[in-house]
Amino acid sequence: MASGDVVLSVRNRGPDAHELIVVRTKGARLPLRTDGTTVSEERLEPRVVGILEPGKPGSVRGLQLHLAPGRYTLFCNMSGHYLGGMHTELVVR
Amino acid sequence: MHRARAFRPFAARGRHTVVGILLTFALFSAVSVSLSIWATSRSRHRASVLEVAARQRTLAERYVQEVLLARAGARADPARTAHLLDQSAEALLNGGVAPAVNGDDDETKLPAATGPVVRAQLRQEGRLVSDLTATGSALLARRPVTAVRLAADERLSTGDPVERLRVLAALTSNVSLNAARTIGASDDLNIGNLIVLQVVLGAAGLLTSLLLALGLIVATRRQTAHFRSLVTSSTDLVLVFGAGGCRYVSQSVTTMLGREEPDLLGDGLVSHVHVDDRASMSAASLHGEPREIVFRMQNGFGEWRQLEAHVTDLRADRQIRGVVLNARDITERMRLEEQLTQQAFHDSLTGLPNRALFRDRLDQALARSDRSDDVLAVLLLDLDGFKQVNDSLGHDAGDQLLQEVAVRFADVIRPSDTLARFGGDEFALLLEGANEPPAVTAAERLLDRLAEPIRIAGHELAVGASIGIAIHPGGPAESEDLIRHADLAMYAAKEAGRGRYEVFCVGMARELGELLGLEQELRLGLSRGEFSLHYQPEIALDTSELVGVEALLRWQSPTRGAVPPAEFIPIAEATGLIMPLGEFVLREACAQTARWLRDGALPDGFVTWVNISGKQLSAGGVSTLVRRVLEASDLSATLLGLEVTETAIVQEGTAGERARAELQDLHELGVKIAIDDFGTGFSSIGQLRRFPVDMIKVDRSFVHGVEHDAKDAAITANLVSLAHALGLLAIAEGIESDGQLTSLRELGCDLAQGYLFARPAPAGEIDRLLASGISTGATSPRTEAA
Repeated sequence: MASGDVVLSVRNRGPDAHELIVVRTKGARLPLRTDGTTVSEERLEPRVVGILEPGKPGSVRGLQLHLAPGRYTLFCNMSGHYLGGMHTELVVR
Repeated sequence: MHRARAFRPFAARGRHTVVGILLTFALFSAVSVSLSIWATSRSRHRASVLEVAARQRTLAERYVQEVLLARAGARADPARTAHLLDQSAEALLNGGVAPAVNGDDDETKLPAATGPVVRAQLRQEGRLVSDLTATGSALLARRPVTAVRLAADERLSTGDPVERLRVLAALTSNVSLNAARTIGASDDLNIGNLIVLQVVLGAAGLLTSLLLALGLIVATRRQTAHFRSLVTSSTDLVLVFGAGGCRYVSQSVTTMLGREEPDLLGDGLVSHVHVDDRASMSAASLHGEPREIVFRMQNGFGEWRQLEAHVTDLRADRQIRGVVLNARDITERMRLEEQLTQQAFHDSLTGLPNRALFRDRLDQALARSDRSDDVLAVLLLDLDGFKQVNDSLGHDAGDQLLQEVAVRFADVIRPSDTLARFGGDEFALLLEGANEPPAVTAAERLLDRLAEPIRIAGHELAVGASIGIAIHPGGPAESEDLIRHADLAMYAAKEAGRGRYEVFCVGMARELGELLGLEQELRLGLSRGEFSLHYQPEIALDTSELVGVEALLRWQSPTRGAVPPAEFIPIAEATGLIMPLGEFVLREACAQTARWLRDGALPDGFVTWVNISGKQLSAGGVSTLVRRVLEASDLSATLLGLEVTETAIVQEGTAGERARAELQDLHELGVKIAIDDFGTGFSSIGQLRRFPVDMIKVDRSFVHGVEHDAKDAAITANLVSLAHALGLLAIAEGIESDGQLTSLRELGCDLAQGYLFARPAPAGEIDRLLASGISTGATSPRTEAA
């Protein structure tokens, strides 16, 4: 997708609460905390471009981002969710 | 049309409102308490659910630990934990028993989860639990964990079995936490709604109660105002007494006593009460007894007023805390009662006792004599030549003569003697303790005193008198007999040449009858048809129409000429001839009325009145006679009226009883009853209520003075209103002038008879009047002869 200002419309379709964190990555796997079930947001902090706090099941929310060209990872950092596969890649040109 | 709102007493209105307020409170409280109980039991359930939901988190983490321990060869029982996780997840979702986890807690019974969100979360939890335990089992069994088919739609990127296990545990833990949060949040919402509902309920209940209370206050105010205006506007005087004397005086005190409130409060009131009445007054005001008191009080103008008060002890009533007196001014009523009593027992012309009072005194004297055997004497006195004075010099001169005679007689008697006027020119004297010699002396003194000429209207008048004396030797006797004896002796004196006295002796009646030859002449006259009836019309005062006639007996003797009833009736009564004479009058009057009726001359409601003598009534048989005569003349009972004297129907004893019963019987048949000479004989007017009476005749002596004499006018007015109060008609007799007619009309008298309208006349004359009507004032006013 093209770089610039975007608004992500985020709908929680699952039964559980979820959050959304957007970080710039180089396509590698994200570093984990010592608990082994959550991503270390502390280490990623300089690369975080947006955070949407946990939302209830069924909620629809918007997240405003300014995206420069690059690779981004979108994921939920509720315990186990990242490792449970709740992440995706986004490439901005 | 506007209608005043009916006033409802406070008691009913207030009670309803108070009950309304209480019911409102009860209803709202009940709803509120039920809601609270419901909410409490619900939150207790929620607490259990929350506990189990939160426990899942710990169990998932414990399971991972136990799997790892077991794989490393340590002692652990992950299968049991897996079972606990699975059972708890099932109980949370669909209800049931969640098992005890450790030794120190109990099994928990859970309801099925409600709400789509929490159910979705719990279903996900169940799936994750089965994924977790399946992965755990594969790991322990050293099977490849990636081969485990995951029920929850997870995409685990890692292939490391332990990591997979930990991620699944984390997911399970996460969703359990969130499910617990969702349950908690819905609970918060419920409690929030409940609080709002409770507040709304409370406010609504409070508002309703306030409105009802407001209504109650308004009602109470209206009530108080209503009673206040009742008390203040009442003409009765309301007094409230407490420990410190009079505490409240109603406003009517100003109009009733001409005094102001401060003048009477405290001890002020008692100081105006008559000294003799203070004891009963203070007893009543302190103790509420006696219940009725009469006391005198001096008003603001120094006059004594007589007050009658009802006493109500309300000391126990917390609203009053005192004794309440409702007082009425009865001064005028008492004055009138005294006047009536005076009039009932006294002759208005001379001020002497009348026949009724004389009878009463004689009865008392005879009762004493019965006990003590004391002698007594009755003297009856009739003026000679009085009629000539009346006829030649007029009515006023006659009255003056009677007054002068009364004064002279009063001079010569002892204070203990009773001198009475019986009516007309007849006087009576009762001498207690007197036998023949002193009675004769008294008679002589009376005659002597009368011998001196009397000067009236420029004429020197010499009147004599005939006196009859009856001596009672002591012991039992009837006053009626004694008076009749004196009467016969008096006739004997008259026959023997006037101006003298005779003492009654046994057998005199017969001798007298023979002496007079009257009895025989009466008998002959009756058989020869010398008796006839005249009729005097009675007029309705509102329409001036002829509504009835009074039948009057006339005797035209061939030897004596026209004999007045006053002369032959006593002889007829003494000799028993009154019976055939009375029957003659009744037959003749009924036959004549039947003739008028056949001629179609009678207006509706016409009544022919016939006089019934006291002797006829006492003898009995009047009822049978009247029935027989009515039947013989084929006349309706309603056209006949009987006039009886007061004394005849108030008579004591069996004869009186029988007379009343006979009159009652005739009255029920439809015969009208009138009381003659009303107002001169009753000792108690209240007795009148017990008799079958339709009409009362106001005596001519009252009618005579109705125009000029305030006393006579007041008495006539009272007799008329008394008649009306008892539902009777009042007829005035002896109307002679237009002035009397006007006064009687103003007093509301119903009927009248007298010379002003028509003299007594033969039936033929009445025929003419029935055809042409009465013209009042056509006849010149003249004194009606006795």
